[in-house]
Amino acid sequence: MRQRQSEIDAWRRRIDQIDTQLMRLLNSRSACAVEVGRIKAELGLPIYMPEREGEILERVMRENPGPLDPLAVRRVFERIIDESRRLERVAAQKSHDVAQEQNQE
Amino acid sequence: MVIVMEQGATEAQVQKVIEALVEAGYDVHRSSGVQHTVLGAVGTPHVVADPRSIEMFPGVREVIKISEPYKLVGRTFKHDDTIVDLGGVLVGGPEVVVMAGPCSVETREQVGAIGQTVSASGARVLRGGAFKPRTSPYSFQGHGETALRWMRETADESGLAVVSEVMDPRQIEMMLRYVDCLQVGARNMQNFDLLKELGRTRKAVLLKRGLSATIEEWLLSAEYILAGGNMQVVLCERGIRTFENATRNTLDLSAIPVVKKRSHLPIVVDPSHGTGRRDKVIPMARAAVAAGADGLLIEVHNDPDHALSDGAQSLFPEQFDTLMGELRVIAPVLGRSLPLARVPAQR
Repeated sequence: MRQRQSEIDAWRRRIDQIDTQLMRLLNSRSACAVEVGRIKAELGLPIYMPEREGEILERVMRENPGPLDPLAVRRVFERIIDESRRLERVAAQKSHDVAQEQNQE
Repeated sequence: MVIVMEQGATEAQVQKVIEALVEAGYDVHRSSGVQHTVLGAVGTPHVVADPRSIEMFPGVREVIKISEPYKLVGRTFKHDDTIVDLGGVLVGGPEVVVMAGPCSVETREQVGAIGQTVSASGARVLRGGAFKPRTSPYSFQGHGETALRWMRETADESGLAVVSEVMDPRQIEMMLRYVDCLQVGARNMQNFDLLKELGRTRKAVLLKRGLSATIEEWLLSAEYILAGGNMQVVLCERGIRTFENATRNTLDLSAIPVVKKRSHLPIVVDPSHGTGRRDKVIPMARAAVAAGADGLLIEVHNDPDHALSDGAQSLFPEQFDTLMGELRVIAPVLGRSLPLARVPAQR
């Protein structure tokens, strides 16, 4: 009983480590999205690019080794993309505001 | 807003909806299920999407509204109860405020006498019509500005505030000189030009519920006034049209707890117009206070049988005094109070 409990603890420590890595990776990914958002604002491109989102989802589902089933992977990445889209929107808005201020000066 | 796509919706159809929502400024949360794709639209869009137009997109099965269409009148915008100041009389606070007076102001003597008596019974606001919206153009139309001057004089003598109905934006400026609160009648609840003009003033507004208005429509009308910058709005339930014809209208007292939950604005009840008969006014007035109303609007006439309008629904001064005594017993159950009665001053 006690041995099984310490096994759970060990797995949980492993999960915590992975979460830390995930969090860092997600932020690195987000930093890229912010850059994309800025460039999109400069070029006047739309934030929502369904073809690109479709490509990402298709690729991760194809490359998915399991045990998550492909649809589960899709949903997780849909959420990641949702947040990236939001970040891109905020970044685009900011660079738009900056450009307007500069125009006024 | 939550958008549920049809079972067989294509990827292109889903994308069209996301595109429209993103363009409006929403943050979209997509969740693809085995059978249905669900989209959550959250955030503060620059264009609020109409759920009905989203529902018209091909492949959309259902759109579920999760937020209210109004903003400023909602509890989510302002959590604490709003207290409205009617020339020093506070509506929405611990005191149940009773507004009483004749349906229409007929003579200086009439309004003077009624003002004295209702004030002595514990009313805090004098109500009375100067401009009367009547079904027939040949019925008594009201004494206009003269009536307002009589009301102001009476109110100042008796220590009351004044509320009177405004019917037209052109009357507002003149009325501001005489009244502490501008009343919008049930038939004008969706007179949006009038509401916008009232939004520009900083005078309290008493907004009656339209005869066939839902609570949501009523709150949206109040939103017009608040959107103009005037936060001093009191809502007034006065009865709605139903199939029941034993009473003139059905006084919807369930509106009180509904409004209290959804909005921070105070709500008062007019039991006179909805019931249309004085024997029904008294029990409904008691019920309104018991249901949590912040005040009442009651018609009182010194000679109801000879009133120029709505005599049948006006209380005799003695009946009003008895009612006030009963309300003083009911109010403390809800942690509220009414001003004490006093011996009328000799004139």
